[in-house]
Amino acid sequence: MSPAVEDPTLDRLAAERATGALHGRGGALYLADGAVVHAESPAVPDVGWRLTAGGRLSPESWEEAVTRGGADHRAGSFLVERGRLSRGELELCHLSALFDAAYFVLSPLDGSRRAPDRFFREARHWFGPVRPVPVALLQREMRRRRSLLERAWPCPEVDAAPVVPVPGAVPREPGAAGPTCGRRAVLEAADGVRTPSQIALALGRCAFATLLDVRRLAAAGLVRTPEAGAPASRAPLRGPRADAPEISLLYRIRDALEAL
Amino acid sequence: MANTETALKDAMSSIDGAIGVALVDYGSGMALGTLGGTATLDLNVAAAGNTDVVRAKLRAMEMLNIQDAIEDILITLGTQYHLIRLLTGRGGNGLFLYLVLDGKRANLAMARHQLRRIEAELEV
Repeated sequence: MSPAVEDPTLDRLAAERATGALHGRGGALYLADGAVVHAESPAVPDVGWRLTAGGRLSPESWEEAVTRGGADHRAGSFLVERGRLSRGELELCHLSALFDAAYFVLSPLDGSRRAPDRFFREARHWFGPVRPVPVALLQREMRRRRSLLERAWPCPEVDAAPVVPVPGAVPREPGAAGPTCGRRAVLEAADGVRTPSQIALALGRCAFATLLDVRRLAAAGLVRTPEAGAPASRAPLRGPRADAPEISLLYRIRDALEAL
Repeated sequence: MANTETALKDAMSSIDGAIGVALVDYGSGMALGTLGGTATLDLNVAAAGNTDVVRAKLRAMEMLNIQDAIEDILITLGTQYHLIRLLTGRGGNGLFLYLVLDGKRANLAMARHQLRRIEAELEV
């Protein structure tokens, strides 16, 4: 049912201790010496989004880190050196974002089941390494996440479709027995147009956790399950930042020009 | 200004009776860091399982309409204590510290105090 997570390209790159960026339809994984140091996917709120959405960092502090630290491929460390974040916070936020994005890189929502296959050798991400994750560990976690989704509700059609609550799914009275914590927030953000990824972006929370909540809501009969084979939403995944340039690409172009 | 590894080491060395500790993301049930554990105590399995404990308690509170936050959850076994401390950081979305203590050697009040301190260290 779900797209494959097993990925011979990734295994080979790990064995070669390769450094570079592995791009696919769902985003990119960045490797350094064969370990995963960063992952990004348009389906997932990135580190900056997470830190600024909850008010942990001001957008100015984040922008400063991206432009000044990012120039040397070390925006993450820059935040710690400037005392904006503790090392622990940086690690936890970055690891959450890394695993979250990696899931959508390795299991693209478009249902293409295509593993990432374009590898740009020596490409580095401007965020810089924080805590490298061995490929085997990443793959084990991806398998675990895939089976969590399967067990919650084996119906991947809900993953990419607009989330449509059934009438009465959100209890009007406070305290009425209904869906809980994360699931409640997901339901309240479901306007019948947003997909699970768009809800995650709106709430600034993990896209995988949101996907899991949507599957559980579907299992509980609180959101409508689209027909199997229904086309995925064509709406752009990332709302306000859809036009932002690919910063790592710009840095690579600049590096190449300087090297001439 | 601890990193996660030193925070976990700190927990294992400063808390009497500590058998294992994990930092868990309860959105996914994944342990972002573990230290200790035994042949019979797989902290990654414990992380995923205790995520359900946290979710169940949050649900119970919501059904009771209790407008408050969980600070920690204590589970007392015959020979062990399991302590779950939810982290309140604004950057960390849904994390908890999970600590397994030997019932004979642990000082529960001190352990809770130390966990509070370690949480504070993690968050500047």
